[in-house]
Amino acid sequence: MYQTIGEEIQVAGLFKKGRFWPSKFKWSGQTFNIQKITLTAEANNGGVKLRYYSVLASGNLYRLQYNRQFETWRLMEIWCEG
Amino acid sequence: MKGEVGLTGLNHCLSDYKDCWAHVDINSYFATLIQQENPALRGQPVGIVKESGRTCIIAASKEAKLLGVSTGSRKDEALLLAPNIRLIPAQFDFYLDATRRLKRLFESLSPEVQIFSLDEAFINLTSCKYLYRDTHTFGTLVQTKIKQELGEWVTANVGISWNRFLAKIAGETGPKGSITSINQENLDYKLATTKFTDVSGVGYRLEKRLKAIGIENLYQIKLFSNQELEKHLGPFWSKQLRKMSFGEEPNLFEHIDSNPHMKSVGRSITGYKLCNNETEIKQILYNLVLETASKARSMGLAGRQISVYLSGEGRYWFSHVTLPSYVNQNKEVFELVYHYLYKKWQRSFLVIKFGVRLSLLKPETQINQPLWPTWHKQRYLEKAVDELAQKYGLFTVRPASLLNGQLIRPEVTGFLGDKSFQLGS
Repeated sequence: MYQTIGEEIQVAGLFKKGRFWPSKFKWSGQTFNIQKITLTAEANNGGVKLRYYSVLASGNLYRLQYNRQFETWRLMEIWCEG
Repeated sequence: MKGEVGLTGLNHCLSDYKDCWAHVDINSYFATLIQQENPALRGQPVGIVKESGRTCIIAASKEAKLLGVSTGSRKDEALLLAPNIRLIPAQFDFYLDATRRLKRLFESLSPEVQIFSLDEAFINLTSCKYLYRDTHTFGTLVQTKIKQELGEWVTANVGISWNRFLAKIAGETGPKGSITSINQENLDYKLATTKFTDVSGVGYRLEKRLKAIGIENLYQIKLFSNQELEKHLGPFWSKQLRKMSFGEEPNLFEHIDSNPHMKSVGRSITGYKLCNNETEIKQILYNLVLETASKARSMGLAGRQISVYLSGEGRYWFSHVTLPSYVNQNKEVFELVYHYLYKKWQRSFLVIKFGVRLSLLKPETQINQPLWPTWHKQRYLEKAVDELAQKYGLFTVRPASLLNGQLIRPEVTGFLGDKSFQLGS
C-alpha cells in the first residue's frame, strides 16, 4: 500500500536531452540514491504545473513531485509492503 | 505479400489496403501503468479503485483478469476469485499524461490520429502506408515505441484494417500484446467469430435482443432480410447492424473527431456512504458546480440547460431547467442547481451519488452579455478567482462553505468524453 508523506525534500540530478532526471534525494536527514525512474508524469493543479517522478531507491518505490511554478520538491508517497 | 505472424493472424502488406487504419489499445491501461510504476506489483493480480477505501474495481490487471476479476467487480467478489489481489488507488493524472504522450507518439507516425478513449486511438495510415512495409512491421514499431515512451511493462494490441470499425475488432479480439489485421481473406471469419461484447456500439441490451432472434455474431445478420431486422430491431439498428455485418463503419464512428465544441459539461461523484446531511449535500453540489462552471468558462462556453441528479438506496431523482439565456458563472449555476432544482426534491431517500450538468453549450463569443452591472461585477470576481487558481492552484481561493470537508478535485474518465478539453484537440 502507499503511505502518504507530503514532505519537502532536496533533490540532486542531471539534465539530459533537455530534461531533468533526479539521481538522489534527501529526506529526514537521509540520502537516497535513485536506482531507476520507473514512470514520469506531468500534471496541472489549476495553472500550476507539476511533474511526478516515481523512483526506486533502496529497493523501495517513492513518488516525488516537482512543482514547476515554485521550484519545490516533495516526497508525496512511499510504497510499503504489507 | 502475406505470411503467418504468431497466433494473431495474417501479415498483410499495407499498400494492399486502399484505406488503412490502425487501432491501438493499451492492455489493462490503469493497472498496467501502476505496475510499470511499481515493479513490486508486476505479475500480480491488481485491482484499481478510485480512491483508497473504495470497494469498486474500476480496472483490473491482466493477471487479475485471468483469475476472473473484471471491471466493476466489488472488493469481496474479487477477493474470492483472487485472494492475493492488491487494491491500488487510481492515479488519474498519470493516465491523462500517458494519453497525451501516446497522442504525440502516434502523431509522429501519421498525420491523422483520433483519440477514441483514454487508452485507445485510431491512426489513419492511408497517406503514409508506403512508409511501413506490412501490418506486422507497423504493429511492432508502435509497440516498441510505446514501451520506449511509457516503460517496458506496457503492452498494446494493434489492429489494422481498411476502416476504424474493423481495425478495432481486430485489436479487441487478438491476445494481449498482439498485432492483428483484417482484410478480405479473413473478414468473414472475424465477423463470424467476434463476440458482440467486442463490437463497438453493441451494448448489453442490444446483444440480448439479437440473441433473442437467434443472432450470435455479426456474420449471421447477413442471413436476415431488411424487413426481418427492422421488425425486431427498429429502423436505426437494423441499418447500423447491416453495415457492420458487411464490415462497414456504423454511424457512431463519424462523430469521433467531428464535434466543433462540447455539447455539455458535467461532474458526478459517488460518496463513501449514504448521506442525509443537508450541509454536506449543499457542499458537494457546490463543489460539483464549481468544477462544471469553471470547465465551461475555460473552454469559452456557456450553457442554458442545467440538471441535477441524485441517487441512493436503489432510487434516483433527476431534475432540469432550460433557460432562455446562457450561464456559466458559479453563483448563477449554483442558485439554479441548489435553490431552484434541488430544493424541490422531497428528500425521499439517502444520497450516495451526486451529479450536476450544464448542457446546450454555446461559445461565449456568440452570446450577448447581460447589461446589469451586478452580473459584470460577479464575472470580474470569478475571473479573478480563476486567475488565482491558474497561478497558485485549484481551490486556493474558494467559497467559505467549502472550507470544511474534503474537496472534490477534477479527474479524468476512462472514456474521455471531454477529450477536446483534456487533450486540446
